[in-house]
Amino acid sequence: MAEYDLTKRIMPYLDRHLSLPLLVHLSDTNLFAAQDVQIAQYELAKGTNMPDYAANLFSQIYPDQEVPAEFAQKRQNTMLTHQRLQDEAQAVLDVIENPDVAQALRQDKEQNLQYLKDNYNLTLDQIAALYHFGQFQYSYGNYSGAADYLYHFRVLSTDNDLNTSAQWGKLASDILSGKWDAALQELDTLRESIDSRSLPGPALNQLHSRTWLLHWSLFVYFNHPAGRTLLLETFLSPVYLNTIQTSCPWVLRYLAAAAILSRAPPPGATPRVRNALRDIIKVIQMEEYQYQDPVTAFLKELYVEFDFEAAQLQLGRAEQVLGDDFFLGEFSADFLDNARYLISEAYCRTHQKIDIRDLSERLNLSPDEGEKWIVNLIRESRMGADAKIDLDKNVIEIFRPAVPVYQTVIDKTRGLHLRTSGLGQAISRLGMGAQQGQAEAPAAAPAVAVR
Amino acid sequence: MSRFFRNAGDSDSSESSDSEEELLSSDDEAPIAKPAAPAGKMNMDRFLKGADSSSDSDSSDSEDSDDSDGEEGDEEEPQQAIRIMSAQEKRLVEMEATGKVMENALKINDWVAISNEFDKLVRMIQRQHNVSEPIPPFYVRTLISLENSVNNALAKEKEAKKKTNATNAKALTAMKQKIKKSVKEYEVDVNKYNADPEAFEREYTALVVRDAPAPPAPRVTVPGSAGADDDDQNGEFSTVIKGGKSMQFSADGILKNLQAVQEARGKKNTDRAEQIRILEKLLEVAVTSYQRIRVLLALVSSRFDYNSSVATHMPIELWLSAQREVDQLVAIIATNPAYAIQEITEDYDELKERVPEDPEEKDGIVRIRGSIISFVDRLDDEFTKSLQNIDPHGTEYIDRLKDEKVLYCTICRAQAFYENTNQDEPLGRVIMRRLEHIYSKPDAVVQALESTVEASDIKPSMRLASQGTTSGLIHALCVYLYKSGNSLLRTRAMLSHIYHHALHNDFHTARDMLLMSHLQESIHSADVATQILYNRTVVQLGLCAFRCGLIKEAQATLLDIFTTQRVKELLAQGVHQQRFQVLTPEQEKAEKQRQLPFHMHINTELLEAAFLVSSMLVEIPLLASIDSDELKRKAISKPFRRLLDFADRQVFTGPPESTRDHIMQASKALQDGEWEQCRDLIQSIKIWSLMPEAAAVKEMLAKRIQEQGLRTYLFTYAPHYSTLSLSLLSRTFSLPLRAVTSIVSKMIWNEELSASLDQSGGVVVFHRIELSRAQQLAQTIADKVGAMLEQNEKALDIKMGGTGGWGDRADGNKGEKRGEQTQERRGRGERTRGTRGGARGRGARFAQGLGNEMPSRTG
Repeated sequence: MAEYDLTKRIMPYLDRHLSLPLLVHLSDTNLFAAQDVQIAQYELAKGTNMPDYAANLFSQIYPDQEVPAEFAQKRQNTMLTHQRLQDEAQAVLDVIENPDVAQALRQDKEQNLQYLKDNYNLTLDQIAALYHFGQFQYSYGNYSGAADYLYHFRVLSTDNDLNTSAQWGKLASDILSGKWDAALQELDTLRESIDSRSLPGPALNQLHSRTWLLHWSLFVYFNHPAGRTLLLETFLSPVYLNTIQTSCPWVLRYLAAAAILSRAPPPGATPRVRNALRDIIKVIQMEEYQYQDPVTAFLKELYVEFDFEAAQLQLGRAEQVLGDDFFLGEFSADFLDNARYLISEAYCRTHQKIDIRDLSERLNLSPDEGEKWIVNLIRESRMGADAKIDLDKNVIEIFRPAVPVYQTVIDKTRGLHLRTSGLGQAISRLGMGAQQGQAEAPAAAPAVAVR
Repeated sequence: MSRFFRNAGDSDSSESSDSEEELLSSDDEAPIAKPAAPAGKMNMDRFLKGADSSSDSDSSDSEDSDDSDGEEGDEEEPQQAIRIMSAQEKRLVEMEATGKVMENALKINDWVAISNEFDKLVRMIQRQHNVSEPIPPFYVRTLISLENSVNNALAKEKEAKKKTNATNAKALTAMKQKIKKSVKEYEVDVNKYNADPEAFEREYTALVVRDAPAPPAPRVTVPGSAGADDDDQNGEFSTVIKGGKSMQFSADGILKNLQAVQEARGKKNTDRAEQIRILEKLLEVAVTSYQRIRVLLALVSSRFDYNSSVATHMPIELWLSAQREVDQLVAIIATNPAYAIQEITEDYDELKERVPEDPEEKDGIVRIRGSIISFVDRLDDEFTKSLQNIDPHGTEYIDRLKDEKVLYCTICRAQAFYENTNQDEPLGRVIMRRLEHIYSKPDAVVQALESTVEASDIKPSMRLASQGTTSGLIHALCVYLYKSGNSLLRTRAMLSHIYHHALHNDFHTARDMLLMSHLQESIHSADVATQILYNRTVVQLGLCAFRCGLIKEAQATLLDIFTTQRVKELLAQGVHQQRFQVLTPEQEKAEKQRQLPFHMHINTELLEAAFLVSSMLVEIPLLASIDSDELKRKAISKPFRRLLDFADRQVFTGPPESTRDHIMQASKALQDGEWEQCRDLIQSIKIWSLMPEAAAVKEMLAKRIQEQGLRTYLFTYAPHYSTLSLSLLSRTFSLPLRAVTSIVSKMIWNEELSASLDQSGGVVVFHRIELSRAQQLAQTIADKVGAMLEQNEKALDIKMGGTGGWGDRADGNKGEKRGEQTQERRGRGERTRGTRGGARGRGARFAQGLGNEMPSRTG
């Protein structure tokens, strides 16, 4: 199943530190040779300020070799830098943590700066020290510390570039220290700033930022309790859907999985989430030439080809893939459950008489389990009254009375009233003097009259 | 001179020329023969006057006929050989004749005649100048005497007012101006002559004799064996001309000649062929690189000048030599980096020989005015033009097409040259030219073209060999153009790139590129050629979808162009005959110029077949699925529907002949559920053979026909069954059971078919509800009201400007989404260039910040 592993594709869009957990996970799954994974880990760690960790990995990989001296050297440097940066940052921190100052600080950044400068002789450069120290802490793995410093920095600083960078840093720190609520918040603000930003040559930059955000957000969405719904909400918004199609079609796997997982959306979900499956199937079909894996193939077989056998086959493989996936690993069982439900729903909708044994087979269940499953299904689902199990013949019969004509007519005309009044309001809002309104008024009138 | 014998039938004139020639020969040492016998002259004059208009053309003929005529004369009477005059002498004689006429006119005070004759004389002198011969003293003398007489005449006229008539007076004043100009022009010579006429004449004689040292000798030693002498003579004769020239072609002689030619360029009476010949000779004798560059520049442009009219194409030989010369030019420039050809240079002395070592030249580079890119452009245009004019079904066309190789090679050489000199603007243009030669060609042809480039001594950096595949090559060329600033080139490159992808059945890439480039939105404002390219690209994309089996996409793509019913015109493959308007000749001409050469055509019949077949596969099941007349009017493909209706009305249908017939009958068969007949009809269309991988396409079509046949069958016959066995369906349509189940399930799921499957029985159970009339009408009215409301909303949207501005409706959101999507799509446009580099270059965003800060702090 190694060919379905996405680590290699995802990693280029992650920070060094964010990639580490991925690699650790890989070493657990045994998809690749342990040696290779370890070497990759070592290469990653080498670039961080965690010389001990790197040295440790080195001795694991090459047990018979001396640990290079550069690590000791680096450690020395790190300590020194740490000391220096801490001193610098501490000065600022002392000022800020002073309760008088905390009270005096306002919403307006400019004013704050002026205040700090006048009263405590704090300059922008000194404030930047907060940023550097936070960054440094992050680089040696003190993520929560980093998050604190970067937070303070952002409150004070007016430098846009550094602020954005600090935002990314804060998000990474929150992710790595497992504060999902904070991370989610951070993610939203970051998303806002990316979507609203209009830099020179923004199209490409924006695309890249969004691609990054998509990948980073996977950490949050698959760990936060409400993450899946939010993921659908975000990823299915046109801009992000386009980003996925353009630069990272492999994210479709997570999108598809999330859609299957939130098959029964919580009440109050937006139409986007409710219709998620339908939209995703369209995208999967469109991007089939670019990306395909068992998860997407499952949806395709089920809803495009209606080939239940193939869907079942893909489901089996998808289960495996999910088990090995860093983000989706925990949801494997949940996924299977929901996928089964989808299969049986589709099956029931197209069939009138279903052999229970056959259906159980389709769902990878034993006949007894299958029966239980089906009874539950019938109980839960809308078709409750129409489906009956005939144990004598061991079949389910589904009676689907045709929708009465008047019902369809009512459905069709239901929204008209609201929309027409919307039109009317818009026209009146347009102003009495506006000539254009007159053109619409007679046109709108018959619509009302007909109703 | 022997021409005189022929032209002038009367013995009188021949006599006169004889006598004149005798005079000449006797006076061999001074061949100018200035004191021509007056009597003879008089005759000559009369003769010349009669043959006035023909004299010009005659003289140009004379050179060609001279050789053979001379021989004839020799054989008849060896004595005559003595009288052979060089062309130069002949001109002199002509000049004197005009001089004589002038003198005569002077006597009767006929200034109109004088003016005419003088013009003639000046022209002759000009020609003299062209071949860089010295100015004969005769001319100077005439000038001086004319000046005097003009002055006298003017003085006289002043005294006796109103004596001369108006035309004469006018001619006189004109004469005065002309004389003034000429005198000024030859001021030096005139002064010299005034100072010492004798010396001037002597100088001239010396010059001429030195010019032609050879002729006298054989003439004197004529008596000898005729045959041997003959050979000798001929040999000598040719060297006279050559020798005569090369004598003057010292370094600045060439430049002087060149200037003369250039001045004559574009004038009414310039003989273009003659000019080309002169330049060719100049090229032969040019020594330094500078001279050769200058001569080549002039030569190539005069070759292009050869045809004055825009409509006809350049003669092929001329084109070939021009092509060779451009090659030469590029070779010289490429090997001598000390010379540069630029469109804009500082002014320099045309007559001065320039060398890179000259301190006046900036950074040791000699910059010469000229433009290789325009030559290449012109070569390419002329090539296209000739292909447009040659009958595409003849062998000539194919022969001409073979020249594309050399042309392609030239373009590549020019590209290499511009690459080396880092001239971006022309490089972009030349790359575009190159791209246009290969984007629409199959791999084999591109390989053949590229092989000649491989063999050439100057190679561009982008080659097939270095890029591996044709797609790689085209990608490299296009990427260069994307990066260049020129938006027109970028658009064209993009379209060519898409076309190429489509040609190679890479539908998805091509489609994505087309959508991301957003060309659909701006193409209406582009120039016609680009619009044509766009049409070609879209059509090719449709064909590509068809080949890949993406029937719906193919149908949708090709629909636009077929609804216009002007396919040929839109693809520039034929002029459309408009019924109600007549094109002006200019429009027609412009239209003709736009036509693509035949080998670039996309076969319209094949195109139509692809379109109609895909329409059939989409439309027939749709037709079967709707039962009310109301809905029937909504057609997906109007052209197809029209044809189908027409076929329906036919009382009698014979066996199919044309492609359309085949498709129409196939459609009917499909409607009746006879999928096998339909398949056979479709597969027997002959035009498929033009499609690459025809067999695979036919197989694909057969499969689609099976599937759509099944769908049509279900739609059509569902009302008549309550159950239908799946296995029967699978047998009837020879599809696997699984496929049948899949298709039926899909139809049920999409609510196209109100039925359900009975798994245990293996049958489809239909649930059909008959609607009463009232119910049907109720449904219709509900639909209509909905549609009307939608229209209203749309209208309001337009009035309000912008989408979703006035209400929070579900529909408004949709519009918004679309807006966002297009915006994002725009971003995607950069993708081809961006992603690969981006993935690496962007590195770890946060880590990047770290990396930047760390060293500066620690170190």
